[in-house]
Amino acid sequence: MNTPETTMLDSRQTAAQRGLTAWEWITNLLKSPVFIMFLVAIGLLAYGQSQNPNLMAEDNLKIMTRDTAILGIAAIGVGFVIITGGIDLSVGSMVGFGGVMVAYLMKEYGWSIWGSVIGTLVMGAFIGLIHGLFVTKLKMHGFLITLVTMGLARGFILVITESFPITGLTEEFKSIGQGYVYNLIPIPVIICLVIAVLALYLLRFTYIGRQIYAAGGNAEAARYSGVNVDRRIILAYIVSAVCAVVVGIIQAARMGLGHPGTGEGYELLAIAACVLGGYSLMGGEGTVPGVVVGALLIGILQNEMVILKVDPYYHKIIIYTVLLIAITIDYGRRRWRTLMIASVIDSLRQRRE
Amino acid sequence: MESKPLLRMANISKQFPGVRALDNVDFEVYPGEILGLVGENGAGKSTLIKILSGVYSRDAGTIWLDDTPIEPRSPQHTQELGISTIYQELALIPHLSVGENIFLNREPLRLPAMGMVDFRKMHREAERILHSLGTEVAGRTPVKNLTVAAQQMVEIAKAVSQKARIILMDEPTSALSSREVDALFGMMHQLKGQGIPVVFISHRLEEILEVVDRIIVMRDGHRVGTLSRDEATEEKIIRLMVGRKVGLFPKQDAEITEPVLEVRNLSSNNGVRNVSFTLHKGEIVGLAGLVGAGRTEVARAICGIDRVIGGEIRIDGKRVHIHSPADAVRHGIGWIPEDRKQHGLLLRMTVAQNTTMAILRRISNALALMNTKEEKALTTHYVNTLSIATPSVNQIVNNLSGGNQQKVVLAKWLSSNPKILIMDEPTRGIDVGAKAEFHALMSHLARQGLAILMISSEMPEIIGMSDRVIVLCQGRVTGEFKRDSMTQEAIMTCATQFVKLDAFADSITAS
Repeated sequence: MNTPETTMLDSRQTAAQRGLTAWEWITNLLKSPVFIMFLVAIGLLAYGQSQNPNLMAEDNLKIMTRDTAILGIAAIGVGFVIITGGIDLSVGSMVGFGGVMVAYLMKEYGWSIWGSVIGTLVMGAFIGLIHGLFVTKLKMHGFLITLVTMGLARGFILVITESFPITGLTEEFKSIGQGYVYNLIPIPVIICLVIAVLALYLLRFTYIGRQIYAAGGNAEAARYSGVNVDRRIILAYIVSAVCAVVVGIIQAARMGLGHPGTGEGYELLAIAACVLGGYSLMGGEGTVPGVVVGALLIGILQNEMVILKVDPYYHKIIIYTVLLIAITIDYGRRRWRTLMIASVIDSLRQRRE
Repeated sequence: MESKPLLRMANISKQFPGVRALDNVDFEVYPGEILGLVGENGAGKSTLIKILSGVYSRDAGTIWLDDTPIEPRSPQHTQELGISTIYQELALIPHLSVGENIFLNREPLRLPAMGMVDFRKMHREAERILHSLGTEVAGRTPVKNLTVAAQQMVEIAKAVSQKARIILMDEPTSALSSREVDALFGMMHQLKGQGIPVVFISHRLEEILEVVDRIIVMRDGHRVGTLSRDEATEEKIIRLMVGRKVGLFPKQDAEITEPVLEVRNLSSNNGVRNVSFTLHKGEIVGLAGLVGAGRTEVARAICGIDRVIGGEIRIDGKRVHIHSPADAVRHGIGWIPEDRKQHGLLLRMTVAQNTTMAILRRISNALALMNTKEEKALTTHYVNTLSIATPSVNQIVNNLSGGNQQKVVLAKWLSSNPKILIMDEPTRGIDVGAKAEFHALMSHLARQGLAILMISSEMPEIIGMSDRVIVLCQGRVTGEFKRDSMTQEAIMTCATQFVKLDAFADSITAS
């Protein structure tokens, strides 16, 4: 292959460069919206702790991380679709579908746990595939076809459950949602971490991920460069549906029953987590660390409101006000490109020079 | 004609990034004349008209209407001043009736206080205006039910009803049959009789000669000549249009060997008809023709973007079936599109990410893991060899200049190691220095054995760079010239060939 000429630098120069890049790395980190969100999340925790020490108690931390992890899984999944410039509104209904189906397979057909889980995942993947085919082959907007699934999937589970929860699941199955590793880390957190690492690998380090970003950034240019854009978009919809079904299975295990109402409105929370994490609804932008921080922020906020005994009627108002503030700052920043922190950093750098 | 001009423009200049579109152009329109404005693609005709109609602002110069200096701010503003423009794409609302379109926003009211429209009066008035222009169209007909020609008449009627003092028409005949053209010309004469001058842009020279009183010829942003009706001939106009200057193009002789790409009777669903040609190793073949002649469409058919409906494509003597751009890439065809921002680049991605876009799979292992070291090495190599001016391979492409962006597109294809490179307007919108550099690169690549198919609207580029020129007109090949026999006049004649033939066919079917 072609090898470039490498330029030799004398050691002092290299050291100076290394120092500069380290400094740049820090400033870039401080400027990055994801890191700022992370700081906000930490601040939120600190504030809550000062108001009620139970917030950081082990029991509550277990609950908080489990809720956050479950939201994180759904958000990572829908994030794939958002990167391609589409949207998946069926997440909430697919959560309900996953929970009911896994319980139904076990109770009505007597399938084993793993058989039911895998069967449910395959069904989820199949629905995602259908979404993808509608979007790529019929050029239908993802909004429409997933809106249809949102209604159909919810309706379907109401029909098969006759709106009664499917109960009597085994303890073994329940441990997927209720269990701990080393009696400390909730299993959903482990599942979320595994999915996050896989997603990170796929999006950042593989050519498939690069092509997914390309499909969202400029589908035509990507296609003309030989990228199979259709296949990448279909993959994104499959990932989204499978992640939603995983959430459904975890929820069923946690509650110990397949409830047909599970996941109502979950799609909006998942999309909100993506947007908080720096995803652009125009496509082509967004990272896994970003969406994880976004889910963390929402998860902490939700939990803290309970611990601090905020009137439940206000929960939605608070969450979506935070979202409004975040996106207003983000869009304002894009328009004027002058955030306070950026100018502070610049003045710091000037002083340093 | 002998009177003083109704409209005068003096020393008009307009600079676009990298291009001087208009350079000190003077322009005048006399009352009651039909004025033809001609020139090659990119000569500055449309820019001039757009400045006059308020779409673009000028960098320098003055415009007088009736001795009063005017400052066209927007299309609405110039319309109020009495300058109406009719574009190739019509600006009518399809679902509204003829009368509603003509009187849009100025509807005659019956009960002004209630805002009630007097439809009867509106439609009667519309029919009266159209009648005065020699056309009979019912005022109630929805515009979408009319032919393109009749829609144009409605636009002209709209202009007249707005008390237009000058009417500008940008290629009004390109979508019309010859009978419709005759009707349009009749209308122009009616307008002329009413003392309203018409400025008429067209590529069809014989049409121009049929109707105009005076012709202004433009080339490369300059006004190069004015001919009165009596002294104008087609040959004279073409000579003025293409000028005499060739040069600047450092095409070196390359060894031209075996055929790489053979296209036989290719037809596509997007207007390519029976096109055949052969492209050899080390050869640059120019694809010439007017805008809309089907040059880009030939490229799109070869690249698997448009559907091939007839004929065959052979690469290295073997017949291939290309159904998608991915197939084309696999067969070693690279395509540098005309609109690089839309079709060539991922503007928000980096130089490195763009460079490897076509070879992502090749630099990845079985686990789909990309070899970022190789990506960086490869990109650095092309940044150096193509001298792409970028601070780093991780620079976002959107922040580069046009010429450097074009080099990134070139790097993307070179890294895929293609046999055939199709370049659509490779130097459009990049400045002169970068242009020459890009031409040198092309010639260098040909010497390394690459086969290049170059589409260009710039005659000097075609003549200077091509070993062979293929001329297209209306989707068909109308001429082929070797390096020693090509002249701008001959190419231009071939490029306009079917315009005459079509008119001839129309006149036969009409009688």
